[in-house]
Amino acid sequence: MSSPKIQQMVEQELLSSYEALYRLAYTYVKNESDAMDVVQESAYKAIKNAASLKKKAHIKTWIFRIVINTSIELLRQRQREVFWEAPEEYGKEDVYLDFDTIDALDVLNEKERAVIVLRYFEDQKLQEIADILEENLNTTKSILYRSLKKLKLTLTEGEFCHEA
Amino acid sequence: MKHDLNHINNDYQNIKVPETLRTKIEDTITQAKEDLAAETLQNRRYQKFFSLRIAAAGAAAAALLLVILVNSSSSIAYAMEQVPFLGTIVKVITFREYEHHENKMEADIKVPEVQIKDKEGTVLQESTEKLNDAIQSYTNEIIAAYEADVKAAGTEGTESVNLDYEIVTDNDKLFSLGFHQTIVMAGGTQLTKIYHIDKSTGDMITLKDLFQEGVDYKTPISENIKQQMKEQMNADENKTYWVDSDVPEWNFTEISDNVNFYINEKGKLVLVFDEYEVAPGYMGIVTFEVPTEIVADIIKEGYLQ
Repeated sequence: MSSPKIQQMVEQELLSSYEALYRLAYTYVKNESDAMDVVQESAYKAIKNAASLKKKAHIKTWIFRIVINTSIELLRQRQREVFWEAPEEYGKEDVYLDFDTIDALDVLNEKERAVIVLRYFEDQKLQEIADILEENLNTTKSILYRSLKKLKLTLTEGEFCHEA
Repeated sequence: MKHDLNHINNDYQNIKVPETLRTKIEDTITQAKEDLAAETLQNRRYQKFFSLRIAAAGAAAAALLLVILVNSSSSIAYAMEQVPFLGTIVKVITFREYEHHENKMEADIKVPEVQIKDKEGTVLQESTEKLNDAIQSYTNEIIAAYEADVKAAGTEGTESVNLDYEIVTDNDKLFSLGFHQTIVMAGGTQLTKIYHIDKSTGDMITLKDLFQEGVDYKTPISENIKQQMKEQMNADENKTYWVDSDVPEWNFTEISDNVNFYINEKGKLVLVFDEYEVAPGYMGIVTFEVPTEIVADIIKEGYLQ
């Protein structure tokens, strides 16, 4: 496949799924401006590296993977900043929405979170999720079960019992 | 449990996507495309710059070099006799050009033909043939690779292959013919391959033939290169070589038998590494000039200064 064509397809995919990408990023970074940054940076990376993609079937999973990795990168960067230096306060504050329920996902690690979000909220197939995470299907299944178990513990024991 | 997940899902679906996001993404995509186009262009420019530098300094790094080492005893004879000496004459007498344009696929490959004569003007048939054969098998390979790409890509491919040549050095000791190959697809690629032909025998030679029989030339050269890599990285934070890196298997450890090299106009040995060989791709083709004193005890006489 020629690179201009695949680039075009990556562009189409970005424009059709950017809302899902934003929400996915949001579950990691938890605020609007960071989530926007993540999606934009991911879009940039995707277009720049579109030529490295061999099959059009991989476009969607590949873009989701970029978003997850970029989110994690940003979180790690933030962590380092906190540890090493207190950044000067400037500009407007990031707006953190108060979604208790989404915070429940915090008990999950980065991979587990991706599995839950993609499976239940973005309605993706397990095989697609496995591709995104570059894991095999069975590993992905066991991550899913482990995540559900962890979530259940927090959801039933924790403060989040509104409806339980 | 399902219920709780639904609850999270509700909030998840309610994450408000900012209205400006779409425009921002469109802008980002445009920006990425522009940057990509600029980089491709830059790769081409870089190539151009490289050729110019080769012409100016006689440093044929990004190139296939066909180096003919003129019999050094002639030079010694010249020094003893103190008579004007015209070394062996090597000339590019003609060239063929392979050209192809179809949609976005294009190739322009120049194939020179060389003639080697001794100082009386008699053509040295064997040396001439060997050199021309070497050039031809090299260029045929490039043409075949391009034609395979044309076949595979059909009408949709985008590729530009360019091969040009240039006489890099021509003195009484050395005739060097440099080939610059550029392949532009998504990004630019530059390739190096250096052949050496010992003029006195007509045989292809490699780095080891510059050194005395059985000596270890690899260790001192490799160590010197590693030291230069570290010095350069310390002096300039923009430089990166794979030496003492986080990925041990990428690290440069020792030069190979077929390492690319040439001898520059100062008579120094220069080692040439392709993109990705010893450094990340952005470093391009990298070269290291080896101080002659490092190998002074083991080099054969007459090659280096």
